[in-house]
Amino acid sequence: MTDPTTVHRRRALAAAVLGRPPERPESSDGGQEPLRAVTGRILDASPHMIVVEAGNGAEERLVVAPWAVAWRGGDVAVADLPAGTNVIMRTVHQGKVVDRIWADTTRITGTIVSIRTDGKDQLVELDAGPHRGRHTIVIPYRASGRLRVRHPKFEPGYLFDAIGVREGEGEGEGDVLSALLPATSQPPYRARAVPVPPPAYGGAQSRVAGTVTWSDAIPESGHRARDGHRTENTRLPDDRQGTTDQHISGDGHGAAYPMLERSDSGCDDAGTSCAGLPYLALGSLLNVQNTCTGRAMSIPIVACGCLAGRFCDRCVECDTSPRGRIAEVSPVSFVELGGDLIKGCFNARIGLG
Amino acid sequence: MPATVATAQLPLVVLLLALGSAAKVATIRADAEPGGLTRLGPAVLVPERWRAPALAICAAGELTLAAGMTFTTHPLFRWAAVGFFAMSTYALVDLRRRRPDVGCGCFGEVSSRPIGVRSIGRTVLLTAMSAGTLAYPGIGWAAMSGITWTMAGCTAVGLALLAALSPELEEAVARLRHRAPCEQRPLAPGTALARLRASTAWDDHRMLLTGGEPVDTWRELCWRFFAFAGRTPDGAPVDVVFAVYLSGRRPPVRAAVVSADGAPVEPLRESIAVSA
Repeated sequence: MTDPTTVHRRRALAAAVLGRPPERPESSDGGQEPLRAVTGRILDASPHMIVVEAGNGAEERLVVAPWAVAWRGGDVAVADLPAGTNVIMRTVHQGKVVDRIWADTTRITGTIVSIRTDGKDQLVELDAGPHRGRHTIVIPYRASGRLRVRHPKFEPGYLFDAIGVREGEGEGEGDVLSALLPATSQPPYRARAVPVPPPAYGGAQSRVAGTVTWSDAIPESGHRARDGHRTENTRLPDDRQGTTDQHISGDGHGAAYPMLERSDSGCDDAGTSCAGLPYLALGSLLNVQNTCTGRAMSIPIVACGCLAGRFCDRCVECDTSPRGRIAEVSPVSFVELGGDLIKGCFNARIGLG
Repeated sequence: MPATVATAQLPLVVLLLALGSAAKVATIRADAEPGGLTRLGPAVLVPERWRAPALAICAAGELTLAAGMTFTTHPLFRWAAVGFFAMSTYALVDLRRRRPDVGCGCFGEVSSRPIGVRSIGRTVLLTAMSAGTLAYPGIGWAAMSGITWTMAGCTAVGLALLAALSPELEEAVARLRHRAPCEQRPLAPGTALARLRASTAWDDHRMLLTGGEPVDTWRELCWRFFAFAGRTPDGAPVDVVFAVYLSGRRPPVRAAVVSADGAPVEPLRESIAVSA
């Protein structure tokens, strides 16, 4: 298993030995207004102002734009969000004005282990991969139709990917995860039967394009840019704290990448993808470009995307992307790259940052 | 005879200029992934947004030289070719020192293997070949159409020399053999460690190491990194990091000594030359 104390030095060591620039490359906003994501817990929400507590205890007061809407299982007015709700907000104007809010939003991705019914609802046990463990989710009766139509192989051994809400007092085992929206057209193969990538005679310099999704199971920490400083929020979801690849980024940005060497990542499921990806390592910088918005950012790889690599699906956010999930990024990175958490993906290209 | 040898190299110089130009244009048109051009040639030394234009200008220059040498007798193009290859030699030597991970980019994305002695030797040879063409007063097209057996032999020898100095051929064979480039092939760390221990970089830095096993190893694209705990001669703890290229039988190996704060350290040499 990789020692987390050495992973954060990898970039500096690689830069020293290969003469690369040691600093992180600048983000590109594609000529548009920069977006900043702010995470926290609501202390008070009104139609014009929202007060949140960031993970480090700092209180943030933000103006709510007149056109801003929140999503919490459906579109709701910002003022209707109760105190205590965990939110991620997209802000504009130097991080002062809230433009969009996602409340208690979570991503439920995994391999179906079992399905049972609970009244009209369904309880689905999912295997979310070796790092994320198993958990049981609820599919409410009202959402089952739209989920089933995008998951025709709704049976054990097949992949499942949905967006929903996390309900509960804490952020751990006691939470109830309700799946509400499908986040993919389910791949037709079993999770263990991922198609092999096509032969790549051309070399790794050719276009590496596909779909980028988000996951709140990636180690994350919130930040907002303010007067050149970033505040850190060390909120991490449930029992995933303390694993190998935590706290590399420290600013809310992080990516899970499928193509890691198994011996390096300590993950027997790594190195699987149908997209023909080049090998990278925990600690490498991944340059992710949202081809729909033109925004690009270098994000450190902080986790093994062994589950994302099993999805050989496409994103149709702005065009039809090539097959394969090439990375899974934290919600903060996803939002700052111009993605909408509810849509679940964007067409992207990647390279070494 | 020297004039025949020199004349025979003209088609090769023109051919390589044309191929280099076409390959660079193909690389730009392939619209490589973000950061893809960061590993290709002297373009890495300019800001990101100028890399594609820099490659395009280089390709246009090569095409102009090739056309000029083929269709005119003006010595300007011959002298320009000599200058171009001489400047390329200097650029590659400098680039090898400053960015050991990048390829020469001479033939676009095919030339992604780190710059070695062979790539530099090839530009030296091309400089000599283009200098030789200055001795031939006729136009390029006449040299190519009125070729004799002697000239053909000289051209073949030149071509063989260029092929021997071209790492791109090995890379092309490896890609055909493995059906995937080095970056996409799973490669065991043990093999890379064995190659590291057989390298001169290992011999040069072995005395700094405090342990025989790496404290960390990871892989990025076609490079395998090994970090060892070490100590400088004056006792300061350092990391000694090696990078082993994963393709080829005698791969490039780079080494650096890095202090605890991440700054590269220049280790003291074992013996320092003293002038009398």
